Amino acid sequence: MKKLIALLLAMAMCFALLTGCGSNNSAAEANDDSNASAAAENEEAAAAENTDAEAENTDNDAVLTMGTNAAFPPYEFYDGDTIVGIDAEIAAAIAEKLGLELQIVDMDFGSIITAVQTGKIDMGMAGMTVTEERLQNVNFSTTYATGIQVVIVPEDSDITSVDDIFAKLNAGEDVLIGCQEATTGAIYASGDFGDDHVTTYPNGATAVQALTQGKLDCVIIDNQPAINFVAANEGLKILDTEYVTEDYAIAISKDNEDLLNQINAALEELIADGTVQEILDKYIVAG
Amino acid sequence: MEKMIEDLKLGFYQTFILKDNYQYFVRGIGITLQVTLFSLIFGLILGVLVAIVRSAHDQQPENRRNPILGVFDVIAKIYLTVIRGTPTMVQLLIMWFVIWAGTRSSDTNLIRCAVLTFGINSGAYVAEIVRSGIMSIDKGQMEAGRSLGLSYAQTMRRVIIPQAIKNVLPALGNEMITLLKETSIVTVIGLKDLTKGAMIIQGNTYQALVPYFAIAIIYLAMVLILTWIMGKVERRLRESDLR
Amino acid sequence: MIYVNDLCKQFGDNKVLRNITEHIEPGEKVVIIGPSGSGKSTFLRCLNLLEQPTAGTITFDGQEITAPHTDINKVRQHMGMVFQHFNLFANLTVKQNITLAPVLTKLMTKQEAEAEAMRLLERVNLADKADAYPAQLSGGQKQRIAIVRALAMKPRVMLFDEPTSALDPEMVGEVLEVMKELAEDGMTMVVVTHEMGFAREVATRVLFMDGGGIIEQGTPAEIFTAPKEARTKDFLSKVL
Repeated sequence: MKKLIALLLAMAMCFALLTGCGSNNSAAEANDDSNASAAAENEEAAAAENTDAEAENTDNDAVLTMGTNAAFPPYEFYDGDTIVGIDAEIAAAIAEKLGLELQIVDMDFGSIITAVQTGKIDMGMAGMTVTEERLQNVNFSTTYATGIQVVIVPEDSDITSVDDIFAKLNAGEDVLIGCQEATTGAIYASGDFGDDHVTTYPNGATAVQALTQGKLDCVIIDNQPAINFVAANEGLKILDTEYVTEDYAIAISKDNEDLLNQINAALEELIADGTVQEILDKYIVAG
Repeated sequence: MEKMIEDLKLGFYQTFILKDNYQYFVRGIGITLQVTLFSLIFGLILGVLVAIVRSAHDQQPENRRNPILGVFDVIAKIYLTVIRGTPTMVQLLIMWFVIWAGTRSSDTNLIRCAVLTFGINSGAYVAEIVRSGIMSIDKGQMEAGRSLGLSYAQTMRRVIIPQAIKNVLPALGNEMITLLKETSIVTVIGLKDLTKGAMIIQGNTYQALVPYFAIAIIYLAMVLILTWIMGKVERRLRESDLR
Repeated sequence: MIYVNDLCKQFGDNKVLRNITEHIEPGEKVVIIGPSGSGKSTFLRCLNLLEQPTAGTITFDGQEITAPHTDINKVRQHMGMVFQHFNLFANLTVKQNITLAPVLTKLMTKQEAEAEAMRLLERVNLADKADAYPAQLSGGQKQRIAIVRALAMKPRVMLFDEPTSALDPEMVGEVLEVMKELAEDGMTMVVVTHEMGFAREVATRVLFMDGGGIIEQGTPAEIFTAPKEARTKDFLSKVL
């Protein structure tokens, strides 16, 4: 099973890199590489081909393109060759409200914002946290979920709380922490523990892989994927103390206030009528 | 227009000044150069050895083939096929997550793993470049050496290899440039090289333009310097054959 | 000095040498002539094992050099060879070309080898080219240096493989001149050549080869003025 995961991982990373590059080249390519989640139907798909270049005019498009990094269960992950998860379903609900066809593009987490800024995709949705620095470069929607950054350690680890990490570092011990590239977990960890102790990986699964191999002492990652990772890998546990708590939102280009307003309106309706909670409950099972 | 300049200013600020972010570039350049340099040396040594094994085997008379050399030749061929037939990134992932599975993710270990992977990878390409250089040397040079009573190894070392290296210097320079740029994939195992530095800044700030352009310019500058050095070396060696 | 017994050489199915038995005495100047493809160059190259014979034996100074565990490098140190295309080491200067082998084989120290190189270069009037690279020399100069390079090893026999065939006509003379001097000094020589004048003047014995065998041999007078075999006559009528 582990070997299979490792293999899939390598393939997923290569693929993620490919799509990441593709999306930087041209919008049309991003479309080709994308994994349409809701079955993209003929006439709409055809329309998407030629209109994606000017992604600002979502009204004419009939397609809502979402960029994500599909290695972050339960928010986004592959089920067969479609991307599913909390973000995917909420996005689908928003798209339905707006009368658009949802299309999901899988890419490196770090490339999502660039793709949003350059209009290659309409929005980025990958469990993204709002920060001051980021707000200067991109707009964020209303938050739709609360994320908790937690610490995963091996079951026999002598790290029992976040404070233990600080204590060990202060005692001059070497603690190696893994994070997902460009996530707030990585940002906070670098700030708190120092760059030299933080290694970042293209996706969370790789960080956990490194942890199981003894390359790392702990992994700091979002709570929900952490639960899935611990369930899938023997010998890991999540510390009871949370590292940080934060709000997830959808990233939208600063040049596209229209879309921001539309998405916010739709999102608020979905939160009000309980749809969002339903989706969260569906994926998030305690433990 | 004004907005663009404002954006750019913000970009520069967030990329270099904010929280001493320029440090990511400085340290990144150090790591990238370190990995490139050591991989280059390792690859060159490995490549020349493999090239010698391959050509020594091929140059034997049909009826007098050395079986030990035959074994080495088979190993060399498998090595060339596998390394040149699989993506460097996959090799790196296998090296780090499979072969070196138990090792700690410290900078030293990451650099060692990268150097080993890129050295082995580059060695395969260097081997074929050097072999083509050896094959391009007139066989009369070898015959002349042997007719004087020199051994195969002596003739190879003093006559054939120096000429072969000179002939393939441009191709070797190309390989070095490719290697320098290819080291950027070490980001997948978490080594904080130049590219990773830009990715971290991008993740922190969601600024893409300035950090990515910055590393593009830095890579370009490194390549230009390398090209300049190779040109110098080439000219130095050319002096020996035409004046 | 060199005993060749029942020598055969085959390239694939192509029989280049057919059962050659021959004996070369010390001090002899043997000139081998014959049409191209007759096997004369292959025969010469078999003498120092640049070509591996398919069958037969070669004995040099009492040592069977075709035996499996012969140290061929040692043997070759005593057999100088000069090639049609000179084959000077392109990466080395003239002096380095000459001193490389004596020094590497520990025949001489570096100083001795350099002194010897200069002495030999004086002899062929090329001392001023000691620090030049082969690419800067004319064909005639290259071939004279190639001869000197072989001589620096103090060989007991010199093998010449068409030494003037790649030269412009005006340079043939200077090379033949050096070879004549060498012959006068008493060097044992085996020469494959198309220079019939040289053969007539210098050879103590002429071998005519065709189809991988020695068809006829004798003194230059016998071969050039009274050939017995039809093939020899035919060949000579074309080249003389």
